Amino acid sequence: MKWPLQDRPVPDDRIPLYNRFYLHAPRASHVDPTMVWGTEIDADALQVFLRERNRGGKVLLTTAHALIRATALALAQYPALNVRLVGRRIFAFRDVSIRTAFVHRRTGEIDVLLISAADQKSLEQIGQEVWQRLLQAARGKGPRDRDRGRLRETSPFWFRQLLRMYGFLDRHFRLPSVGRLDELRGGAAMVNDLSFPGAPPIRSYKPTRFPDPSDSLNLTLGAIESKVVARGDGFAETHVMPLFVRADHRLVDAYQVGRFVAAVRDLLSHPERLDAAATTPQAVPVAAASQ
Amino acid sequence: MTPDNHHLEADLLALVRSRGADHARVEPDTDLIDAGLLDSLLLTDLILHIEERYAVAFDASDVSPANFRSVATMAELVRGRSPAAQSA
Repeated sequence: MKWPLQDRPVPDDRIPLYNRFYLHAPRASHVDPTMVWGTEIDADALQVFLRERNRGGKVLLTTAHALIRATALALAQYPALNVRLVGRRIFAFRDVSIRTAFVHRRTGEIDVLLISAADQKSLEQIGQEVWQRLLQAARGKGPRDRDRGRLRETSPFWFRQLLRMYGFLDRHFRLPSVGRLDELRGGAAMVNDLSFPGAPPIRSYKPTRFPDPSDSLNLTLGAIESKVVARGDGFAETHVMPLFVRADHRLVDAYQVGRFVAAVRDLLSHPERLDAAATTPQAVPVAAASQ
Repeated sequence: MTPDNHHLEADLLALVRSRGADHARVEPDTDLIDAGLLDSLLLTDLILHIEERYAVAFDASDVSPANFRSVATMAELVRGRSPAAQSA
């Protein structure tokens, strides 16, 4: 049994006023606290970095592994985003754990895995853990796959009742994670790498919100695209990857999201920084954040 | 018997080439990693295919760039790990 959240919620006086408007808005107001921030990263730098690391490395590294590591380091730097709602209270996670989606080869469905304490793991450790889970899923032999199989066999009626009951408890109480399936609630951020070969360019993308209040933040990376930029007196071709971040205004505001996105973008555009240790957390800028 | 080199490469090449237009021009020595053609789906499919057809077991520590850089390196890996090669 693990307790993914801190014992006490974030004190009210640390929550910016406008976040409280969203947090305490009555249901009848149909408030939508979802924010999506789209930006792009320098794909040339990331590709060169991965190519070099894959030249002599022991683990095959991909953009998905870099995205997991960059998100974890940025969350360690800005812990105000590593939180979730329980009722109308905000709780911080104990660790910086990152969820990522992948295609479960045995079933052909999307599945999710969790890299716990990802800010404390090297890019190679993250890569190896992801490959291990992918291979387990492909073989369909892991204990988690047996649990998943039982859940799939549950009738729609009981599936709905299970979701309602578990959802109610999870929304209102600071629950421990007790099983292999609910351990996914151990992280605030979900990352999604859609830069697979043959993926079309993404102009706009709104990551969905999973029916799980721990899914506070989502980062989705799109396919590489060519772009012509002004450089000196002339023009040059460069390559970029779109990055979309979905956040929740009940937890953070646009200023905080912007700083977090800038940190992720900086790490992916200067990927040599992915090897650095997690930096000291930034203080929550209450005055600036409430603007 | 150790898998025949030519047939082994042809078998793996067929799987890789079946993934779409970008993969159709892949040759045994094409660097799949540098070309951005080796994603997690293709890699897990290749591993499952090799495990089922050639009885070669992999774990996560085998997923290295050296082993999966090209069809030729994969074929080399399978030849070295096949039960026949190990008992020789």
